Amino acid sequence: MMTIKKRVAVIGAGITLFRRRLKETGKELSYHASKMALDSAEMNLSEIESVVMGTAPDAFDGIHMKSENLLDGAGGTGRPYMRPFVGGGTGVFSPIAGWWHVASGLFDTCLVVAEEKMSPVQPHPQTAFRTIWDPFTTRPLHPNLVWIFALEMNRYMTVHNIPKEHIAEVAVKNKGNALDHPSAQLAAKITVEDVMNSETMVWPVQRLDISPPSDGAAALILASEEVAKKYTDSPVWIDGVGWSLDSSYWTNRDLYFPQYVAEAAKMAYKMAKIDDPPKEVSFAEPYDPFTYKELHHMEGLLLAKKGEAPKLTAEGVTQRDGKLPICPSGGLLGVGNPIAAAGLMKCCEAFWQLRNEAGKRQVDGAETGVCQAWGDLMQVGTVTVFRR
Amino acid sequence: MSFDKNTNPLKLHHLVGDMEADYIYTPGVAGDKFFKALRDDEKFLATHCESCNHTYMPPRMYCERCFSKLDKWVEAESTGVVDTYSLAHEDRDGEKLAEPVIVAFIRIDKTDGGIIHQLGGVDHESVKIGMKVKAVLKDKSKRTGGLNDIDHFAPA
Repeated sequence: MMTIKKRVAVIGAGITLFRRRLKETGKELSYHASKMALDSAEMNLSEIESVVMGTAPDAFDGIHMKSENLLDGAGGTGRPYMRPFVGGGTGVFSPIAGWWHVASGLFDTCLVVAEEKMSPVQPHPQTAFRTIWDPFTTRPLHPNLVWIFALEMNRYMTVHNIPKEHIAEVAVKNKGNALDHPSAQLAAKITVEDVMNSETMVWPVQRLDISPPSDGAAALILASEEVAKKYTDSPVWIDGVGWSLDSSYWTNRDLYFPQYVAEAAKMAYKMAKIDDPPKEVSFAEPYDPFTYKELHHMEGLLLAKKGEAPKLTAEGVTQRDGKLPICPSGGLLGVGNPIAAAGLMKCCEAFWQLRNEAGKRQVDGAETGVCQAWGDLMQVGTVTVFRR
Repeated sequence: MSFDKNTNPLKLHHLVGDMEADYIYTPGVAGDKFFKALRDDEKFLATHCESCNHTYMPPRMYCERCFSKLDKWVEAESTGVVDTYSLAHEDRDGEKLAEPVIVAFIRIDKTDGGIIHQLGGVDHESVKIGMKVKAVLKDKSKRTGGLNDIDHFAPA
């Protein structure tokens, strides 16, 4: 096990609007989020010692090696700069990479930026996923992501005998929570019936079970304990990080439970000395690109027993004023899903919640928040534990 | 490890595929203003950072040195100096070109940046680093609001 040389704080956060077809380039979006994060920490770019850029497949922006293209907008010029990449898990993995920049003692400050501009790819961002599959064992079937998720969703529903209405509650809650998020793209007051009556895309996935494609960026400022205290009296600590990948062979694992998320969560909880996650975690931001994914990931994060997350949701436990608020931000379903930026949006939310700066979204008594993202070939879990 | 002496992969058991994807790119906030001014008014617009005393060509909406937001637009010249050049004998697929093309980085006057483009009206023997050049724009009816609205740079 490595020696952690410095405790790492978050001292600033920034985010753009999440929308389809924003006018700004990816660089310009990165600049807006980074500048807002710097301003919130009352810092200048010159005080940043290192930069981490999280951004998902190049195929979205349509610029190969896009992190090099995004460099100047993320404040990376003339600094140690790197791009960590674990597909859709990148948004929560990028602050993990930022954490090790500082925890290792190499740097006292790190600007973590995440960007995605999905609107350039035609006719739909889904096109970018055509070539992620193995050319011999999967691609000949012309899969798209939605039907792969539908297979996983059905397995999860069937193993635990979950009514679709309980899963639909996630869309109602998250789109409702997003009404209070100034960056939100798909905030709405909807009902379970609306979800159940929405267009079937690939059964059991319906239109309102899915987050939208989006353009956007988010940023966090990380600092070592000594440096953080010069800037703020209320730092938010990164006390645990974890990540894990399962086999990319779907045929060799059971889809009903995200074991990779559980492994990542155990790593992060151990570091944060959390023994009883449902009791010790005040709120969580699990990755929710699909309704069932929030539930699947709550179970992976060991916040609910296997198969019990839908029941907790139907009972209102996961509402913002419930016992265990889940996605108080509004999540990907409500705020939007510019892939890497969406994951980092969750970490921004943890920062604002733990600083008591979340406004109408504020969760009472927030002490410990957990953020999680998922992706790659549906087999990576990335987890970060934040504390006030 | 296995290895057979075959330089033609089509002789192996194989699939033919591609990584197809189509895009619509937009030039961004600063790029939009730059390319429209070039197309419509034949102007080279730049942005200036007062704190760094640096003029960006192509223009940017932020200073990458200090992160100031840049909203001070200045009109640069359509002239500049060849900072470096090369002679391309092959196209990007490795096919021989009928005539070598002179590709140059031109530092644009009144700015700290510049544009990469082709040189015309100068032969391979007389092209020199340090020579003064001027943008030659396409006929207005043929402009699209892109980099090739500049046809080439020619000796000034």
